[in-house]
Amino acid sequence: MTSCHIDNAIRRLRFEHQEMTQQALAERIGVTRQTVNAIELGKYSPSLEVAFRIAAVFQRPLEEVFQFQP
Amino acid sequence: MSFREKSDWVSFISLGFFLIYFGGIARGIMTGSPTDNPYFYFILFWSLVVLLVVVQVVTHVVLAIRSPSDARTPVDERERLIHLRATRPAYFFLLVGTFLTIGTLHMNFTAWQTAHCVLAVIWLAELVRYGVRLFYYRHEV
Repeated sequence: MTSCHIDNAIRRLRFEHQEMTQQALAERIGVTRQTVNAIELGKYSPSLEVAFRIAAVFQRPLEEVFQFQP
Repeated sequence: MSFREKSDWVSFISLGFFLIYFGGIARGIMTGSPTDNPYFYFILFWSLVVLLVVVQVVTHVVLAIRSPSDARTPVDERERLIHLRATRPAYFFLLVGTFLTIGTLHMNFTAWQTAHCVLAVIWLAELVRYGVRLFYYRHEV
């Protein structure tokens, strides 16, 4: 399907936040665990709203969580 | 596997029960011996509808009890995207099937047979919809 070129640092940021589980992150941003997994693996590009929510959970700027690879 | 993926599997499999019904109708049309006993098909159809409802309700209740938080999570944006993408091929299937059904008017089909062609097209379109959803869930779109 969608082959995106958006890298993300979600796995590392989860690790740095006391090994936050995908389920815990999913509950905080209001999506399913499977969606967090798909985002983390780069198989699904989230909407801006979800991207900002993820960045807010980790208290990092958006560009530190997601990087666009042209 | 998410609650909604499990739910789609249940829907896909329970809709598959109707293969018994439409298979029987199709066999009758193919062999040129259509329904000598329409009451049998009437009873079979409504039995399958009741079975479908019972299976859907019971399995969804069981799934919701086993993972209540998962069941409570609203449909998220990825799932909405999957649902939209699955609707497209199903609608195409429905459209083609509808035109093919119109074609049966030139094949001396009875009203009863034509009505079943319409039902079969709707049934197959639903199977396509759930099948494509499951495909996308499995491929982690």
